[in-house]
Amino acid sequence: MDPSEVEFLAEKEMVTIIPNFSLDKVYLIGGDLGPFNPGLPVDVPVWLAINLKQRQKCRIVPPDWMDVEKLEEIREQERKVGMFTPMPSPYYMELTKLLLNHASDNIPKADEIRTLVKDTWDTRIAKLRLSADSFVSQQEAHAKLDNLTLMEINTIRQLFLESLNHMYKLRTNMQPGKDSAKSQDF
Amino acid sequence: MFGEKAIELVRELDRIGDGQLPAFNEDGIRQVLEEMKALYEQNQSDVNEAKSEGASELIPTIKFRHCCLLRNQRCIAAYLYDRLLRVRALRWEYGSVLPTSVRFHMSAEELEWFNQYKKSLATYMRSLGGEEGLDITQDMKPPKSLYIEVRCVKDHGEFEIDDGTIILLKKNSQHFLPRWKCEHLIRQGVLEHVLS
Amino acid sequence: MATQSYTPVPPGVGMEDNFLSLDDILLSQEKLPCRTETAFPRLGFLEKSGDTGDIQEGTKMEMPLWLAKGLYDSKRRVVAVDLPKVYREGWRTVFGADPNVVDLHKMGPYYYGLGSQLLHFDSPENPDIAQTVLQTFVRRFRRIMDSSQNAYNEDTSALVEKLDCMERSLFRSGQAGLHDFQRWEKGQSSQMTASSLVQNYRKRKFAELEA
Repeated sequence: MDPSEVEFLAEKEMVTIIPNFSLDKVYLIGGDLGPFNPGLPVDVPVWLAINLKQRQKCRIVPPDWMDVEKLEEIREQERKVGMFTPMPSPYYMELTKLLLNHASDNIPKADEIRTLVKDTWDTRIAKLRLSADSFVSQQEAHAKLDNLTLMEINTIRQLFLESLNHMYKLRTNMQPGKDSAKSQDF
Repeated sequence: MFGEKAIELVRELDRIGDGQLPAFNEDGIRQVLEEMKALYEQNQSDVNEAKSEGASELIPTIKFRHCCLLRNQRCIAAYLYDRLLRVRALRWEYGSVLPTSVRFHMSAEELEWFNQYKKSLATYMRSLGGEEGLDITQDMKPPKSLYIEVRCVKDHGEFEIDDGTIILLKKNSQHFLPRWKCEHLIRQGVLEHVLS
Repeated sequence: MATQSYTPVPPGVGMEDNFLSLDDILLSQEKLPCRTETAFPRLGFLEKSGDTGDIQEGTKMEMPLWLAKGLYDSKRRVVAVDLPKVYREGWRTVFGADPNVVDLHKMGPYYYGLGSQLLHFDSPENPDIAQTVLQTFVRRFRRIMDSSQNAYNEDTSALVEKLDCMERSLFRSGQAGLHDFQRWEKGQSSQMTASSLVQNYRKRKFAELEA
C-alpha cells in the first residue's frame, strides 16, 4: 500500500469542528452530515474538516489525546513496556500529520505534540524490527499484531512478507522425500 | 553448450530491470529456433537409428538433446512472456497512444496484442460506473482536490479543458487545472504537479 | 516510488522453480561440477571443440544446473553431480560460525536458490545443506532488515555488495517501504509524478544520441 492510501483511510475518521456558517443536513452515501450552525460543535470526517478549514469555514477541535500531557504518558508507557501499547487512535500518526499541517493554529503546543508522537513512533518501529527479527530467528509460524497500526505495519509489510515466504520455502527444503523432486524444469 | 543463444535473450531483458522494452530481438529468436531445428533433426535420425538397429547406447545422447530443446523452449517462452508484461505496462504508463520510438521496439504480433489489450481495457472501462464508464487508469493515488497546480515541462501546444476554454501549454508556464485532465500528461512527463 | 505497472514473474525460491521467471532461468544457468556415468555418443564436440566422437563415461565436465537436473536420474546412472565448494562441509562450518561475514554475492550470487536446487540430487549431505542454507538466512535477516530500513538517501552500494540475489531483492523491498514512508512524512506522497518508465526511456534515448 502507498502511504497516501493509508492516509486516505485515516481521513474517514471523525473529528469535531466548530463551523462559522449555517447549512442544513447534507445527505451523503457515507452518512448524513450536519446540520451546521455557527459556533455549535459538530462531528465530520477529517477530509471535510480539512477542506472547510482551508476555506476558513471552521475551527477544528483537536481530539482528546492530542494533548501534551496525555502524549507524554503514552510515550513513557511505550518506552517502559516490551509489548506494543494500545494507541489512542488507529490512525494516530496520520491524524497528527493531517491536523498539524492544516490546523496547527487550532492545536495548542503543536510542535511539542509533533515531537512526542514522532518519539512514540520511533520507539514502536524499533520494537517492530526487534520482534520481526525474533520472529524469524525463532522460526515462528504466527504472531499477533495486536495494537499495531496500519501505517506501522505498512512500512515493513513488503520486506517482511517476502522474507517469511523465503523462509517458508527454505524450511520446506528440510522435509525432502516428496516427489516434487521429479518436477521437470529446464 | 547448447542454449547459449537462448540464455542471451533472457539476460538481455534481465539487464533492463525497470520494465523498459528493448528492441525485439528477431535475430536472436531466429538463431534459437535454428538450433532447435538442428537438435530436433539430429534426434529424429538418432531415434530412427536406435529403433531400427537397436542402438540403445544412443539413448543418453537423445535425452541430452531433448533437455536442450526444452531449455530453448523455456527461454523463448519466458522472453516473449516477460515482453508482454512490459507491453501491457506501456498502456498504463503512456496511455493508449504510444510514441513511435516505443512502437518501433515491438514486433508485429506485440503491436497486435497491445491493440487487443487496449480494446479489452476500453470495453471493460466503458462497462463500469453507468453511462459514462469509468477511467480506471485515473486517480492512481487518492485525490486531494479537484483542481491542481501544474507547471509545463515542455511545449505541448493547445489544450482544451472541460468548459471549452483553450489554454496554451508553453514550457515553464504554470496553470491551475482540473486534476483529471492532467494526470496522464503528468505521467507522460509533459506537466509537473506543483504542491502548494 | 509509486505502484509500478510492470512486475516481473517472481522466482520460485526453494526446490520448485518458476517456469517463466527470468531470475530462475538465470539461476539454472549456474554451472555445476559433474561426472558422466554413461557415454554420450556424438556429443564430444561439447567437451573438446572439433571432436566428432563421444563424451566418454567418467568425463569430468561442468554442466549448467538445468542440464544436470534434466539428465539426472536417481535410478539410472547417467550423471553424478558434485557439490560446489560453498555448500561443502568446510564452508558449512564457516557459515555455522558467523554467516554475516561471508560475501554471498561473490560466493553465489544465487546462494539460497542454488542450495535449494542441489537437493534434487540425492546426497547424504542434503539435510546438512538444507539446514545450513536456512540458518544462514535466519541469521543474516536482521542485518538486511536494519540496513534497508535505516539507509535513507545514501549510497547503498556498499550495503548490498555482499548480499546474494534474493537478499538484494529483500533489501530493495525494505528500501521501498522506508522511502515511501519518508516521502509521506515530507508531504510528497500525494504528488503525482512522471512515470519512471517514461523518464528512464528518455534518459536512455538521450544517452544513445550522445554516443
